[in-house]
Order: sequence, then C-alpha cells, then structure tokens
Amino acid sequence: MNRAMYAVLRKDFRGIVSNRRLFLEMLLVPLVLTIILPSIFVAAVHFAPDDPDMAKLLGLLPQDGRTDSPEMALAGLVFNYILPVFFLMIPIMTASVMAASSFVGEKEKHTLETLLYCPLSVKQIFQAKVLASFLFSMLVSLISFIAMMAVLETEMFFVMGSPVIPAAGWLVILLLLAPSVSLIAVTLIVRGSAKAQSVEESQQGAAFLIIPVILLVAGQFAGIMLLNVWILLGLSAVCMLLAWVLLQKAVGRFNYETLLK
Amino acid sequence: MQTVVLDNLSKTYSGGKEAVKGVSLFLEKGEVFGFLGPNGAGKTTAVKLLNGMIAPTGGRCSVMGYDPAREPEKVHAVSGVLTEHARMYDHMTGLENLVFYGEIFGISREEGRKRAVSLIEKLELEEAADRKLSAYSTGMRQRLSLARAMLHNPEVLFLDEPTSGLDPESAQNVNRIIRELAEGQGVTVFLCTHQLRYAQEICTRYGLIEAGRLLAGGTLQKLREDVSPGAKLLVRADHLPERLLSEISGNVDPDVLFLRKARAGGGEHGVVLAVNIQSEEEVPGIIRKIAGAGGDIYEVSISRPSLEDIYFALTAKGKGEQA
Repeated sequence: MNRAMYAVLRKDFRGIVSNRRLFLEMLLVPLVLTIILPSIFVAAVHFAPDDPDMAKLLGLLPQDGRTDSPEMALAGLVFNYILPVFFLMIPIMTASVMAASSFVGEKEKHTLETLLYCPLSVKQIFQAKVLASFLFSMLVSLISFIAMMAVLETEMFFVMGSPVIPAAGWLVILLLLAPSVSLIAVTLIVRGSAKAQSVEESQQGAAFLIIPVILLVAGQFAGIMLLNVWILLGLSAVCMLLAWVLLQKAVGRFNYETLLK
Repeated sequence: MQTVVLDNLSKTYSGGKEAVKGVSLFLEKGEVFGFLGPNGAGKTTAVKLLNGMIAPTGGRCSVMGYDPAREPEKVHAVSGVLTEHARMYDHMTGLENLVFYGEIFGISREEGRKRAVSLIEKLELEEAADRKLSAYSTGMRQRLSLARAMLHNPEVLFLDEPTSGLDPESAQNVNRIIRELAEGQGVTVFLCTHQLRYAQEICTRYGLIEAGRLLAGGTLQKLREDVSPGAKLLVRADHLPERLLSEISGNVDPDVLFLRKARAGGGEHGVVLAVNIQSEEEVPGIIRKIAGAGGDIYEVSISRPSLEDIYFALTAKGKGEQA
C-alpha cells in the first residue's frame, strides 16, 4: 500500500469518527451485544430458578459443555454457544456502516469525484476503501471482544465466584469468521453502491446480511445445530470463499463510469 | 508544444445522446484556452473525456502525451481539475483538505502544508483556513477547490466555470492567478464557461461549441476575421450638415455600408453615427470628411464584434443552415 492509499484510509477512519451521529449509531450495536446482553444473560443464569427442566437441558449438552455446577454450565453454554453468534453482528454492522459512508457517502457528497481526479488508479481507491472498512470493523470487533471479556469476567467473578473460560470457537470467530463476514458485508455494500443514491438506502441493503445470523441464533436456541469448532471452521471456509468471489466481482464493477452515474 | 490534443473526439452516451461530435483541437503550452458554449453543449463531457472519467466512442485525445482512456492516473498526476461536482470534505478544515490532497499527489505533509498556506494566502482564504468546510460559502469553496487543483503544480489545468459563485473582487483575483500561471509558469489552461464576456477577459484562444459540435476556433482576431469581419466606427458629433449626412447615407462613399443616427443620452452633445468599416485605415478619411463639413466631433471609437456577437452570429448561421 502506497502513501496515497494510506492517506485515503486514514481519512476514511477520521471521517467516520468525526461524524458523531454515525459513530454513536455504530457503537450502539457493540455496546448492546457485548456489554448489555451478556450482563442480562449472567443475571438470568444466576437468578434462574432450579428448574428440573433446566437440568434435563444441561444433560443434553455435549460432554465438554458440562461442569459440576449447573450455573457455570449454563453460563458456559451462553458464552460459548449463544454470544458468538450475536457477536457476528458487530463486524457485519460496523463494516456495513463504514462501507456505506465511505463509498455511497462520498458519492452522495460529490467528494468521490475529486478523489477520482487524483493520481490513484480506481483499483487503488477501491482497495484503500475496502481496507479501511475492513480494518475499522475488525478494530471495533476486537475492542468489543476485549470489553465483553472484561465486563463478563468481572461479573462472573463477583456473581458466581469463578471466571468463564472461552472455548476455542471464539478464536475461530475472531480470526476467521468475523473477518470474512466483514469482507462480505463491505463487498455487498460496494456492489450496491453504484445504484444506491444515499447512505441510508445502502445500509438498508446490508440489513439482509443479518438474516443468516438470526437463523444461526435461532438454531442455537432451538438446539438444532450447536456451534462447535468444526462447524465454525466450515462456516469460515465458506464465508472466506464467498468474500473472495464477491471481492473479485466488486473490483470489476468499480470503474469511473459506474461511480459517476 | 501541444499539451492537450482532441482528435475527432466523440462521445455518445449509452442512452443515445451525442454529447461530443467529432471535435478536433489542440492547446499549446502556456495558453488559456476558452472552451465556450451554453449549458449542455458538451464542455463538461469533454473535460471528463480528457481526464479518463469516460471513454470516447470515437476519435482520441491526449494530455501531455498520455492517453486518458489508458493511463488516467498519469493524466491526473500532471493536471489539476476544478469542476462543479468535484467537492472536498466538509468535516475537515480548508487547510486539512489541502494537506490531504497533497498527500494523495505524493507531496509530504510538511511540503503540502507549506504549499497549502501559500495558496490559501493567494486566494485570500487566510481567515477560513482553520474552519471546517461545512462553514464555507459557495465562493470560498470554489476558491479552495482552485487551490486544490493547483496544489501539485500541474502542467495542465482544467477549469469548469472557475468564477461561478465568486464575487467580482474574488473573480478578478482568480483571473489574475490564472493569467500568472499561464504566462509565468507555462501552465496550459483549458477553461470551460458559458460566460462569454468573462472568457474574453482572460482567454488567449477559443473554441466555440454547441450541441457537441465545434462551431469555430482560434484567437479573437481570427474568429472576427472568419465570422464577423469589419468593425463599427462610432462618432459622436454635432452640427453635421444635412449635405454630409445625405452624402454618407446616399452611398456617395461606397465604403460606407451602413449609417445609423441615434440621440446621445446623458446630456451629451450631438448624435452618434455608426459606420461600418472594414479596416482602421478608413477612419481618418471619414473623420476628415465630418470635420471638413463643419461638424463638431466629441468622441470617436471603434467597436469590434465581441465574443458574444461572434457566438450569436455563429449559432444564428447554424440555425439558418439547418432551416
């Protein structure tokens, strides 16, 4: 990446942070999903009545999910099976908002045209902007994870007296699945950016990306498919392949004429 | 040295609109070329073609030897563009915007800042330099855009309506800067405007375009010779004997093609005679004739066809041919 591309990337980062409304809107999702929701789950697990049905449910869990304390088992279930799926919404949302602002927002404000008159190839502009959205969503995801861990472990320590151990699946999510879904979100926004006339319109399109995540959440709650490392690795592979294909297609569509329409 | 070349350049949009039809012209280093025509004539399309934003459907063009359709980045590196639709970032200050664009053009932050400050001073934007662009007026934005286009010391400047939104004082300053760039630094300026009077003030050569077709091109002198030769001699005089008037109007002098008699306004003396002449050499004879006949002469001037007159003569001719 050359200096000019780095300047575009830095400017995009600054652009999103300086737009207070958009930035707060973007922070709201991670805040709810990594601080508020886990806290509610911790409280719910702690104050749940000793229901015999719950014991039956825990009995159905895979061997590695069981512990001596039903409370800890339930907390582990929530932390390692339910929260990871909710967590995936963070890279999707942040990447979508950032990409919409970076591509469609610039087109809407006529600043993209000025950028096109600069000595950067259209491919370099595309790469710098995709990278900015991707890195920003990864940064927000990582900070969200650290914040969630800090809050959750503190709450667990005070409420249940013992920390909850993250399963290996979290590593797959952070290193493979989150980056690939983030890239898919960015490329889909870029794909629609030629037609979308406003940031809002573009973001509406990204809402469809949440549907597969909601299905996964439903799957977790219903117990149809419990996410283990292998399933997560498989999902990551599929998403990475999809992200690569979409990225290649998006590069092809990104040219002066479609951008200035 | 030819810096910008358009060779039978055409562009037909996918909807079928022919925006540019076989335009051929070239620009020499250091000239201010006025590409003139009404809105929708094809001026902005030509700028986009010359910057590789759109591909031509016929012919070819080049900027400093680079083909914009093949090497747009190289064209952008040697040219600066100011168009109505190319804006800058509202969340950044004027100075920050310039430093940012400087970086994209490969200028270090320190050097970019130096150049930005100097241009900001030149364009009289010192007070607004540290203000966010969202607080800028249209005229201030326009001046900052001009600074942005000049920041990397381009060899060619494409200016689309550069004085749009500027007050007369700022417009004059911008004209001075453009002239200095062309004359002092040899920058070629491709200036698009529909304001013909403004173009006449600043341009050294012109291309008149209508509905995508180049109607005529050349210096003002050449356009006058080609389209509307001759000039009008205006003489404000009094006590002109009827004999002289009838002599002139009666075509005694075969070179006097037209005589108009009008009341001079504003308490001035006499009447204004407008006589069509072919060259300045006819002037002494006509003046001698008036003075010899006992007329009192208060004012003598020659009125040559303006760019506007030439343009309207050309478009009227075009319409006449079409009819």
